[in-house]
Amino acid sequence: MRKIAQLFLLLALPLFTGAQTADDVVSKVLTKLNSVKDYKVSATIKANIPMIKILPNEATIYFKQKDKFKVESKGITILPKQGFTDINNFLAKKDYIAVINDTVTTGGVKTYLISVIPNSAGGEMILAKLWIDPERSVIMKSQITTKSNGTVTTSYTYGDQVKYGLPSKMVFEIDIKKFKLPKSVAADINKSSAEKKKKAGNKGTITITLTDYAVNKGLSDSIFK
Amino acid sequence: MLLKNTWNEFIKILSKPRSYLGVGALTLLIAIIIFAMKADGKSIISFVTASFEQTLTFNGHILNGYLIAFIILQMLIVHVPLLVALVTGDLIAGEAAMGTIRMLATKPISRTNIVLSKFIAGAAYTLFIILWMGFLALFVSTAIFGTGDVIVLNSDGLVILPEADVLWRFGAGFCVAFLSLLTVSSLSICLSAFAENSIGPIVATMAIIILFTIIGSLDVTVFDSIKPYLFTTHMASWRSFFEDPVPWSAIRESVIILVVHNIVLVTVAVIRFNKKDITS
Repeated sequence: MRKIAQLFLLLALPLFTGAQTADDVVSKVLTKLNSVKDYKVSATIKANIPMIKILPNEATIYFKQKDKFKVESKGITILPKQGFTDINNFLAKKDYIAVINDTVTTGGVKTYLISVIPNSAGGEMILAKLWIDPERSVIMKSQITTKSNGTVTTSYTYGDQVKYGLPSKMVFEIDIKKFKLPKSVAADINKSSAEKKKKAGNKGTITITLTDYAVNKGLSDSIFK
Repeated sequence: MLLKNTWNEFIKILSKPRSYLGVGALTLLIAIIIFAMKADGKSIISFVTASFEQTLTFNGHILNGYLIAFIILQMLIVHVPLLVALVTGDLIAGEAAMGTIRMLATKPISRTNIVLSKFIAGAAYTLFIILWMGFLALFVSTAIFGTGDVIVLNSDGLVILPEADVLWRFGAGFCVAFLSLLTVSSLSICLSAFAENSIGPIVATMAIIILFTIIGSLDVTVFDSIKPYLFTTHMASWRSFFEDPVPWSAIRESVIILVVHNIVLVTVAVIRFNKKDITS
């Protein structure tokens, strides 16, 4: 009987101490993100991926709730397939279990490391780990594991738009182990097999610096067509 | 006299229907490629980027005229040697077969200059073929598809070249491609000096190109020592201009080897033609 009482006290401790539960923390983040109905932002995209050589490029990113997203650029730009709207969409469904794993300092900020696991196995998402700053209710770092795209880790830095939970810089770390070149196209008879086997690392990064946000100015749907 | 005879040789090339066969075939092939790209270009591009698109998205005007020009060059540079050899392989042997070579030798011009004038006329025809291919590939493609950054796939991965940095690469690439085709022209003229009919040099030129290409693509160490000296190994050097950074030393080496091939082949042709019995 005493053991049950101890267990109850342990579980109820956050209620008495005023500490936040994982759901509270996540829902505050979601509320902040949902306050953004649309935005337009200028982006400088710098990709450092071992198998891809590309110069930094300028682009304009458009977003509109719920999941409208568009990138406009003069040249070719490379972006991670997931990371911009996936977390918002996943959290908005509220079909998950969130658990605080630890308290971690990320980028000099004390954060809760929260694991978010979907309730249903049918979706694309397998696991999301979120490092959340409870003071500002923003995600400082995320690690999303999906069925088809592997794991993408993203670090966030915030500037003027922190009140909306919109970052000024995002650094995506991408797993490139799955990258394979079609042999028939990549055939290069001037290089020996030994040269071809020279491989770079398995990780690549894409750094996106975001400036000149225009938030909640009312973007037209025609932009996304 | 050399220039006058070169002009005569060039007129002879222009008067043969086979010279237009190559130009016509080239035009038709490029038209087919451009049509295919217009009809289903996006799926062809996704074949290249498919493995990356599991994790990444490519944004921007990917299917543009510069990319089409690169694809055309890559596809046709393998086949154009046949079109060149079809004309240049006939330059000496064709005259031997028709018997006009004796009349040619009666002119007040040395046999060396006869061969050199044929080589220069062959080079002019090759240059015309390259310029025509460049015009169709670059200007017609950009007129239809517009311009943009170029995605190039090589054995190390993807290289994305900005639009402003592309035209000089095409210019330099066409120059090296011309040198490659000039080597084919010299080879067929050289073989032509040994033959009495034009079919032999044309077929022999293609056989040599196929043989050398197969040796070059075989990943067997026993061929490693000879591969760098085969002209076919350097025929794709134009592609190096689309790497980042540009491998200048490799390009220089390729240019030297191709130039040496040309000098040797023309020299052999001159020596052979000087000793050739054209009286019987």
